[in-house]
Amino acid sequence: MGLIFIRTTIVFITLFIVMRLMGKRQIGEMQPYELVITLLISELACIPMADNSIPLLYGIIAILTIYLLHQIVCIFDLNFLSAKNILSGSASVVLNKNGIDDTQLKKNNLDVSDLIESLRTEGYFALDAIDYALYEAEGNFSALPKKGYEGMQTSLPVIIVDEGKFDKRNLELTKRDKGYYLDVLRGQGCDELKKVLVMTVDGNGKVYLQQKGQKYKVFHLDWKEKLW
Amino acid sequence: MIRTIVSIFITLGVILGASVCEICYVNQTFHHFHSILLSLYQKTESGTAAYEDGVAVQTYWREKKKTLHVCLPHTALQEVDYQLDEAVGCLYVKDYDSALPKVEVLLGLSESIPHSYSFNLQNIF
Repeated sequence: MGLIFIRTTIVFITLFIVMRLMGKRQIGEMQPYELVITLLISELACIPMADNSIPLLYGIIAILTIYLLHQIVCIFDLNFLSAKNILSGSASVVLNKNGIDDTQLKKNNLDVSDLIESLRTEGYFALDAIDYALYEAEGNFSALPKKGYEGMQTSLPVIIVDEGKFDKRNLELTKRDKGYYLDVLRGQGCDELKKVLVMTVDGNGKVYLQQKGQKYKVFHLDWKEKLW
Repeated sequence: MIRTIVSIFITLGVILGASVCEICYVNQTFHHFHSILLSLYQKTESGTAAYEDGVAVQTYWREKKKTLHVCLPHTALQEVDYQLDEAVGCLYVKDYDSALPKVEVLLGLSESIPHSYSFNLQNIF
């Protein structure tokens, strides 16, 4: 039983560290340690229950160990702020008034398309319509839109350049080639494609451009007609 | 907060208490079983072991097994059952040459089983 206690503790701590390192992508509405407990407890209960050759006490001791570790983590989580940041993590502001914070995105193993997807799920389609967007410690996504943001979302923006790479399907959708957009980028003072964090364009020709480490720009392309 | 701390200490107490009891009980039982088997081995070796001696060891083992099932995997105990039944069968027909290696296996098991579940680094990993 002492062995089960030690082994369960080791598995718990290992899983917990891995979950914390994986970032918010792997968590959904649960604190990392809660997810670890959910992963472990069902197996711990099932194996001795289904396998007659394993004493039931093995499962009970393992579950008691999980309970004990949960209580210890809870004490640190609720009473010590620095420990809370280590155990549960803190909210990550991935989009602010300067645009997308790719350092925060990478820290959580996310990319720009994940952020855009999360925004769309929340009902926001244009990146420039948002003042702040953040992933909560438990993986939930929240966004604070600009005043009158609905007026900024008149057409669906599509990604043209995502972290230095063209999206070929969306290029075809806009009926323009790479050369056209490279000229646009040059016009905005961006000589290298790899410096572009994100570039989106909507059906009206409104462009959202953000270069790595810089504030985003919004401008309009000289399109004769509305494309979608 | 106080309730959580109390619950931590109670759980820790239950786990540590159960672990200590398990280690002591398993070691003590197998130590005693080993000494019984050793005397059976000596008797078998000298050709003086009777069927009743084997049955006595079997009775002791069956009695202890009821409690050992609570803290050891049943498969670990099944091997002892098998070897003991074979050894007693050999003693019944006074086939000491066949009984001796079986008692020897039992002696080995009585040492290895508690060691397999003892508290050491090798078993943790």
